[in-house]
Amino acid sequence: MTTPVEIEHLYKSYDRGGVKFWSRTEAKPVLEDISLRVGEREILGLVGESGCGKTTLAKVVLGLEKYQSGSVKVNGLELKELTKAGFKKLRRQVQVVFQDPYSSLDPRQTVRQILCEPWDIHALYADGAQRENALRELVRAVGLDAAHLNRYPHEFSGGQRQRIAIARALALEPKLLVADEPVSALDVSVQAQILNLLKDISRRRALSMLFISHDFAVARFLCDRIAVMYRGRVLETAPAEELLHNPQHPYTEALLSAVPVPDPQLQKKREPVETKTQRKRGSCPCPYAARCRYYQAAQCRVPLELKQTQEGHFCACAVLPFQKEKSLYAV
Amino acid sequence: MNNRILKRIFKNKASLAGFILVAFFALVALFAPLLAPVHNVHNPYQLPQAGYEVTPQPPSAQHIFGTTEQQYDLYYGVVWGTRLAFKIGITVTFFAFLIGLFLGSAAAYFGGAADEIIMRFTDIVFAVPSLVLAMVIAAMLGPDIKNMMIALTAVAWPSYARLVRGDVLSVKNRDFVTASRALGARGPRLLLKHILPNSIYPSVVVASLDIGYIVLTAASLSFLGLGAQPGTADWGQLIAMARNWVLGSSGNTFAYWYTVAVPGGVIFLFVLGWNLLGDGFRDILDPRQG
Repeated sequence: MTTPVEIEHLYKSYDRGGVKFWSRTEAKPVLEDISLRVGEREILGLVGESGCGKTTLAKVVLGLEKYQSGSVKVNGLELKELTKAGFKKLRRQVQVVFQDPYSSLDPRQTVRQILCEPWDIHALYADGAQRENALRELVRAVGLDAAHLNRYPHEFSGGQRQRIAIARALALEPKLLVADEPVSALDVSVQAQILNLLKDISRRRALSMLFISHDFAVARFLCDRIAVMYRGRVLETAPAEELLHNPQHPYTEALLSAVPVPDPQLQKKREPVETKTQRKRGSCPCPYAARCRYYQAAQCRVPLELKQTQEGHFCACAVLPFQKEKSLYAV
Repeated sequence: MNNRILKRIFKNKASLAGFILVAFFALVALFAPLLAPVHNVHNPYQLPQAGYEVTPQPPSAQHIFGTTEQQYDLYYGVVWGTRLAFKIGITVTFFAFLIGLFLGSAAAYFGGAADEIIMRFTDIVFAVPSLVLAMVIAAMLGPDIKNMMIALTAVAWPSYARLVRGDVLSVKNRDFVTASRALGARGPRLLLKHILPNSIYPSVVVASLDIGYIVLTAASLSFLGLGAQPGTADWGQLIAMARNWVLGSSGNTFAYWYTVAVPGGVIFLFVLGWNLLGDGFRDILDPRQG
């Protein structure tokens, strides 16, 4: 079987400024040297702060955004080389669930129209009775009722809308699901339902998933492996539990320290790592250097690369070799 | 949805008045052949003439609104002029809307160079005062109602192009469009099924507002002799024929008041009706009102 997602040295930038013809444009890198892999039936979590490029990476994997260099293979197919027909075929393998269920469903279509659209586009289930059966099955799979089919999105709650969005993504029976913060717009109680649904579906349908989140607790529940991103780079990847209990990168450490623990006594004692941005460190290859607690001038001479620290645990930190003494150098 | 809009129109007195005015004119236009029997079967918009005397005659039992220059019947002109006003207003608005919709959505959807070219062209048309531009086009094509409508369409479309472009731009990046793209949908489907149905509404409202304004501009062109020909049941033409009688006779300024007041009042009420109705629409569709 082919690997669902294999990304190597991906680089992408956006052009800033106006129209190319009129004004000077400037390339702003958003993804730099990203290498990631999502295995068969694996759920890879992508964690990082706002604006770090998580969603852009998701769009690249979906083929909705172009990239400048590097290689992105989805199901073994290099996205750059796909023809229009090949791209359309790939749509049946890769689907997406967005963050905001209020804007991801067309307000002027009924649930039936929304769910039938993928089949219309790919000319599937042309037979009326067949389609009706498939619809019922699909709706049941995400915990909705066939009676909901003729209603409009605004008649549903956020959680139900997200179920509809998931059903639409599943309609083509994809192998890979890209979930872009699918629960962060929902109430906490509803989050749990949707997470359980995603977990259940991914197991039952043997799905691989690229799960984007900024919430470690959510990522931990669902993901097999977690990759931490910062400013368009992957700083650390590790199996979920390993990453949480043994974070290697100072940024991961700082992120984890900001996650509250469900024990009030313990939570009171914890103090999040707060770091100020120091602008004079700007020219370092490590994007986190300006905020790093363990900053050393020496690290700026080493290129940033992911190195294996333990089995399956990769970290991109130039100060790592001195890990034991790390705290001594703390500024 | 439609019920809700109607209910709110009836609640507001101003927009209710607008609705009644527009509905009244619509009925007049609809039943024009009953209200003013046709004289010339080949061209019902031809005004009947009662004699060839130049001086207008005041309202009488035979001519309830009086006659204007050369004994053209004002009542007939007003009734059939209503039908012509609707014809002009709706046709021009419809085609201007279509052109604007096409150009605006193309500019927004394709972006880049197409957007620049289309929108700069729109800006150029916008930059010339619309009445002046319409006059130039109408004068070049020759005085005729059809040519006048072409000229009016040519100056009316840019506002729709801009409006549609803005709405398409905001809708095309919404998640449901991206989701549809991720499902494999391509340009035409995205545009027709998702983007336009969600971005066309404000333009439809503006179109309904525009009808009054278009009729007013058409009357101006006719008054200037660039639209309907003398003897046509057109409000602007009726006012044009009153040009020599506006000041009345010596010593009696208001001697021929009806030649101006009748067609002028009708235009005034027609435009007022559409404006009030349009204000009502705008208030209802203003998202800040919820």
